[in-house]
Amino acid sequence: MLLLWAIGSNWLAGNKIDNCRRLGARDGVRAWANVAIASDLALLGVFKYYDFFAVELSNLLGLGNAIPIFQLTLPVGISFFTFQAMSYVIDLRRGVIQPMRLLDFAVYLSFFPQLVAGPIVRASEMAPQIAKRPDPRHVASAEAFHLILRGLFKKVVISSWLASNIVDGVFADPQGHSSLDVLFGVYGYAIQIYADFSGYTDIAIGVALLLGFRFPINFDRPYSALSLREFWRRWHITLSSWLRDYLYIPLGGNRGQTADMYRNLLITMLLGGLWHGSTWNFVAWGAIHGVALIIERSLPIERIHPALRWALTFHVVCFAWIFFRASSFSAASDVLTAITGSSGDTKILNAGLILVLLSAIGVQFVTKSTSARMDYWMSRRPILIQGIAFGVGLVVIDTLGPDGIAPFIYFQF
Amino acid sequence: MRNTTNAELESQRDARGNGQGSPAGKILLAGLTGLTIALFLNSAALLADAKRQPDGPGRSVALAVWSPIESVASSLGLTWPRAAVERLLGRYEPEQGITLFLEQSQVVPTSEKDERVVPSVEDEQEPRDLPVQGLPQSLEPIWSSEHPFKLWIAGDSMVQFFGDTFASLAETSALVQATSEPVLASGLSRPDYFDWPTRLAEIMTKHDPDAVVVTFGGNDAQNIRAADGRWLDRFDDPWLDEYRRRIGTIMDLVVSDKDRILLWVGQPPMRQEGFDQRMQLLNNLYRAEALQRDRVHYVDLRELFTDSTGKYARYLPDNVGKLVDVRLTDGVHLSHWGGEWLSALLLRELRKSPNLDELWIQ
Repeated sequence: MLLLWAIGSNWLAGNKIDNCRRLGARDGVRAWANVAIASDLALLGVFKYYDFFAVELSNLLGLGNAIPIFQLTLPVGISFFTFQAMSYVIDLRRGVIQPMRLLDFAVYLSFFPQLVAGPIVRASEMAPQIAKRPDPRHVASAEAFHLILRGLFKKVVISSWLASNIVDGVFADPQGHSSLDVLFGVYGYAIQIYADFSGYTDIAIGVALLLGFRFPINFDRPYSALSLREFWRRWHITLSSWLRDYLYIPLGGNRGQTADMYRNLLITMLLGGLWHGSTWNFVAWGAIHGVALIIERSLPIERIHPALRWALTFHVVCFAWIFFRASSFSAASDVLTAITGSSGDTKILNAGLILVLLSAIGVQFVTKSTSARMDYWMSRRPILIQGIAFGVGLVVIDTLGPDGIAPFIYFQF
Repeated sequence: MRNTTNAELESQRDARGNGQGSPAGKILLAGLTGLTIALFLNSAALLADAKRQPDGPGRSVALAVWSPIESVASSLGLTWPRAAVERLLGRYEPEQGITLFLEQSQVVPTSEKDERVVPSVEDEQEPRDLPVQGLPQSLEPIWSSEHPFKLWIAGDSMVQFFGDTFASLAETSALVQATSEPVLASGLSRPDYFDWPTRLAEIMTKHDPDAVVVTFGGNDAQNIRAADGRWLDRFDDPWLDEYRRRIGTIMDLVVSDKDRILLWVGQPPMRQEGFDQRMQLLNNLYRAEALQRDRVHYVDLRELFTDSTGKYARYLPDNVGKLVDVRLTDGVHLSHWGGEWLSALLLRELRKSPNLDELWIQ
């Protein structure tokens, strides 16, 4: 129902915006765009943020149970399809795109490969592909099979293995582990969330490719970044570019005084954190990135040796992940205390784990052309060979993966 | 922050896809061929998964589909590669017949003698305080850092959300050694998936804990298979008899051979009404069996996790009136705070025994 509402309301508003634009009624354009955006934000506000703010307000004012709490179930994919819908009306308002037909818009907003956890595909990227209709005679099968297998391997083998062998245990009981265990638990989570989320988007992009649609890339070896700015050009690219184009730049972006730019940066990162979930932990995660980005911009970091820059960037990102993963501030504090606490005997650290972590970081430095060459090589093989390789790959992944795979982390957002 | 433009997309398409690609029909056929091969190579695992499903039409269909495929694959030697890899990984477990609960001759639940009537909540007497344990009453400390008081926390996924927290809380005493052992999706209904009586017997023998905390039920509201192979329909009288027998078996396994304490944690209120009713029915069974045994204490979570109207609540006021989220968004499991609340309750229950209280006074 929510999805239907989002489709109907944004499509109608889009048509009104286009009509007003043709008539030169600027106020009408602005008004309809604002109505649509307000409707989308209201959906997010009620289902994702209301309880959080109600509880915080209640605690702040000491109101007890006076403010009603809805306890609504978070609708699947709401953070993603509302952002896509907003990109549609904003791009229409800016005159970047033409209005879509109702059916095309419904396909765009409810397209199943990315509905649940992205990538956030903009109307300007998807509308031309839907309008043109995919050509069933030319489907990039080798690339699609490769992406699906790669995504499944990241999720089923890497992410699940790290979660069950180190991350879950460390974050559940940091005080019961040595400082080295906890530190590697945090490294493990950095790899786990990358494998989990980029694995999902690989699968989504691969499935869309099989249907003839090409999504934008969402991850580009983020842990090879030498700065936080670079990290955000490589991590969850569709969200970071959405926030840049629809929030950071409208706030003023890099224009004006340096202080204004820092303010815009901090607001963008704080809201980016809040987008992930209605807890202070996500706000803290955004704040850490915002503050670190500001510090980075104010210092001549290019003078630092690249290896040191990489290490600094990676550890700031890992530090922020602690707040992202921990269930509360006190739990995050426990993890930090444990890292700096007693050395103790390691319970979980072994050569296999270190090898997995080093390999996962190492592949971040493998160039994209290597992957493209693999796709090219496979695309030259007969289609039947591709299919057989795909089938065998599925069995290998299922065999290597543990029993019981946890849901994708980003499904909760 | 960078946006991938349409031009870049086109360029990627040309560079990667060789600009050509294959016809969709051929890809469909190739994909189906690959999936068919995968299906045969993986048939043993698929059949094992089907056997683990809850009894019902879905399981019957799955078994009807995977059994003949697995037979064909097995006879062609196609299940061998996966088995070989699993052997290499040390995971291979040759299939055994479904292991049902320990035979009655091994462990005789005391409830066997009793009438198998499920009492309603109203008929129940109030849960008792933890009885004075059969542990020595001497004020002399009987545990030391060399011989710590051993605590074992076991059960289904619920343990994931309080087990480690409770273990940490208990281990604030240097004389306590606690272990948390959650097994996801497990319970008492499906020993073919995870055989808790066997595992608990192993724990009692190998580790000999002084106190055990268990919780089951979240996965148990499903048909169960009796020792004679019959499937018993959920919540019918034979099902209730069998499930109650299994509860009793677990309790006796823990407390029958030693002066050991067992805290049986009931299911908290659930957001979904039907699920909540089923869990309350199971709670009545746990409580009824606990009441028949010394040293088994049923820990009711209803009061701890309901609001002033007695209903499920995700947010509840803490001791200073501040609202905290005690449940996860799934409406079933406990949040970090919920785990802390439950851990504090469990520690209070343990400390009701005079000797145990001293463990945490030092």
